[in-house]
Amino acid sequence: MNLAIKDVNYHRFKFFSSTIGVSLLIMVVVAIGGIIRGVILDSAMIIEKTGADLWVVQAYGAHPQGGTLGPFVEISRLPEQIYHAIAVMPGVAQASPLATAWEHVNVMPQPTRLMKFMYVNALLNTATMVKPGWMAMPKLQRFIVIGYEPGKIGGPPDIVAGRGIEASHYEVVADVKTGLHVGQQLRLGNFDYTVVGLTKNMVGFTADPVIYTTLLDAQNIIFQQDPNLLRSQLPRAVSGFTDLAVTQPRLVVPLANKAAASVESTLFINAIAVKLLPGFSAREVADRITHWQHLQVYTAAQAINLQLMGSNRLILFQLALFRDILVLIAGIVIGLIIYNFTLDKLHEIAVLKLLGAPGGIVYRMILEEALFMGVVGTLLGSTLELLIEPYFPRRVVATSGDIAQMLLAMSLVAVVASILAVRRAMNVDARSVLATG
Amino acid sequence: MGMMDTPNMEYAIRAEQLVKVYGEGHTRVEALKGVDLDVWPGDLLAIMGPSGSGKTTLLTILGLVTEPSEGRLLLDGKDIYSGKQPNLARLRRETTGFIFQSPNLIPFLTAKENVLLPLSLVGISSRQAEARALDLLGYLGVAERADLHPSQLSGGEQQRVAIARALANNPKIILADEPTASLDTDRALSVMRLLRQVSRQRNTAVLVVTHDHRLISEVDRVIQIMDGRIVDSDASHAKV
Repeated sequence: MNLAIKDVNYHRFKFFSSTIGVSLLIMVVVAIGGIIRGVILDSAMIIEKTGADLWVVQAYGAHPQGGTLGPFVEISRLPEQIYHAIAVMPGVAQASPLATAWEHVNVMPQPTRLMKFMYVNALLNTATMVKPGWMAMPKLQRFIVIGYEPGKIGGPPDIVAGRGIEASHYEVVADVKTGLHVGQQLRLGNFDYTVVGLTKNMVGFTADPVIYTTLLDAQNIIFQQDPNLLRSQLPRAVSGFTDLAVTQPRLVVPLANKAAASVESTLFINAIAVKLLPGFSAREVADRITHWQHLQVYTAAQAINLQLMGSNRLILFQLALFRDILVLIAGIVIGLIIYNFTLDKLHEIAVLKLLGAPGGIVYRMILEEALFMGVVGTLLGSTLELLIEPYFPRRVVATSGDIAQMLLAMSLVAVVASILAVRRAMNVDARSVLATG
Repeated sequence: MGMMDTPNMEYAIRAEQLVKVYGEGHTRVEALKGVDLDVWPGDLLAIMGPSGSGKTTLLTILGLVTEPSEGRLLLDGKDIYSGKQPNLARLRRETTGFIFQSPNLIPFLTAKENVLLPLSLVGISSRQAEARALDLLGYLGVAERADLHPSQLSGGEQQRVAIARALANNPKIILADEPTASLDTDRALSVMRLLRQVSRQRNTAVLVVTHDHRLISEVDRVIQIMDGRIVDSDASHAKV
C-alpha cells in the first residue's frame, strides 16, 4: 500500500494547489534563467552567426590601450581597401569588409495588444520614477545595419521569408523583430530601400534587430553626409587652397576637387570579418595582422566577451544575483511547504508509530510526497515558462539543461525538507494518541 | 473465557514489579510503584482509576510504547527487556492491537485500507490481507462501508473499523484506551459487548482503560489503580 499516493489522492485539492504555488515560483526562477541566457545569446548572436574566426578593427596606433573595441561596442573606422591586404595574408581564407552602425527608421512595428499591455504596465511601474515625457512611446525604431559583400561572410544566416540580397543596391533583408514585411519600402539615409527578405533571431547585444544591406548601400547609409552640409563645406575646402592661386594657379581647382571628394568619400568600413584556413592558428594570424597592418584584432570569443562582459556585464550580474535570491526564496518556500505538510500529519505519524510502523515507512511516505511536489512543480513550472517565453519582449531561452538543473535543485530541497520534517515528526510521542491520565 | 477458567494456561502478558519514574530530582515523579499483573488469553480487564493514577503509564508499558524503569514484562514467557535492546515497533505490530478514545483512523485511507495497514506492515500478501480485512469488517458489521473514508463513517462505525484494525494481526493483547468515552450509553455498551465477543471468540486478551462505571458489568476483572499501585484486582465486580 503506497501511503503517499493515498494521502495525495485524498488531500488532492490541498496538495495540487500547493504544487501549483510551487510551480509558479519555479516558473519565475526558470524565466530569470531564460532571460540571462537570452542576454548571453543576444551578446553572441551576430559574432557567432557571422562565423568569422577573427574580427579586425581600428587600432589606436601607439596608444597603450591598443585599439578600439569595435565594431559593435565602440566606433571603429577603417579605409575599405585595407581588407585586400588582409585577404592575401597567409592563413586567411576570406576577409569580408563590413560596415556596421546603429541606425533608425521611422517605422515602428504595429503594437500588439500584449505590447500595449506591457507599455501600460511599464508606465504604472515607473510612474514615480520618471519625469514627464521620459516614457513617451518612441516613433522611431532603432536597428543595427550591417553592410556586407554578397557571397562573403557577414550576411543574413537564414532567410525565413522572401529571398536574400541579389541586387547591388537598394535591397535589404531585415530581422522579423523589426516588424517589416517583404516588399515594404523604407528610407535609410538618403535613399529608399525595399525589404526583399526576412531573417530571424539576428539581434545585437542591445536586442536591437539587424537590417542587412550590401556593403555599398551600408556605406551610403552610414558615411554619406547630408548634401546641404557638403555644399556648405565645399567653399571652406576650396578656400584652403587660395594661397596656391599666386604660385600654382593651375593646381587650385584639381586640389579643391580632390579635397571635396575626400570629404564626400564613403569608402570606409567598420570591421573586417576574417575566416581562417584550416590548420592556421588564430593567434598567429592575429599577431601578423596587428604587426603589419597596424590594426586591432579580436578572436570571435574576445569579440563576444567585449559585448557580454564589456557592455552587458552589469545587467548580467544583476540578473544572476536576482536569480540567486529567487532560487533561495523558492527553496525556502518549497521547503517550508513540505515541512508544514509533514507536520500536519503528526497525529497520523503518531498512530503509525503506535501501530508499529517502521520509521522507513514514514520517511518513504513523506519523501515520496515531497519529491512528487518538487518534480511535478518543476515540470509544471517549466512548462508554463516555455509557454510564456514567446511573449517576453526580449529573448528568453530556457533549455532542457536549465530545467534538469532546477529539477535536481528542487529534488534536493524536497529531500532535505523531508528529512528535517520527518526527523521532527518522528520525535512525536506515540503516547500522544492515548487520551487517559 | 476468563482468567478464572484457565488457571493452567500461559498468560498473554505478565508484569512483575513494574516501576516507572519520570524526571529526576525535584521533578521526579514515580508513576508506577511496583505493579504486578497477569493477563490471560481471552481476559477482558478494565483498568480504572482517577486521573494521574498511572493508568496510561501502565497501558503504554503493556503496549510496549514506554519502557519501564524497573521490573519485568513477559510476553510469551520471555522477558522483553532482558538481553539486547528489543525491537519494540516490531513486537508491537506483531503482538498488540490498539483501540483509542477517538478511533484515530488514518483519514486518507478507506475503512478497508485502515484494516489492511497493520497487515501490510507485517508483510502479509495483499490478497490474503484483503480477504482478512474484509472478513474482519464483516465480523464487526461494517463490511458494506469498506470503501468509505473515515470522514464518511459515523462515530460508531469508525470505532468498529478501529477494532477491526486492532484485530488485524491476530494480536495476543488488545489495549483499549477509553474506547467508549465519546459514545452514548447504548453505543458504549455495544462496543464493550463487541470487545467481549472478541476476547471470547478469538481468545484475545483485552485491557480496557476506562473511567466509565457503566462498563464494569461487561468485564471479567476490574483493576483499580491509585497513585501508581494496584489497590484492587477483583473479579467480583464483573460478570464472569
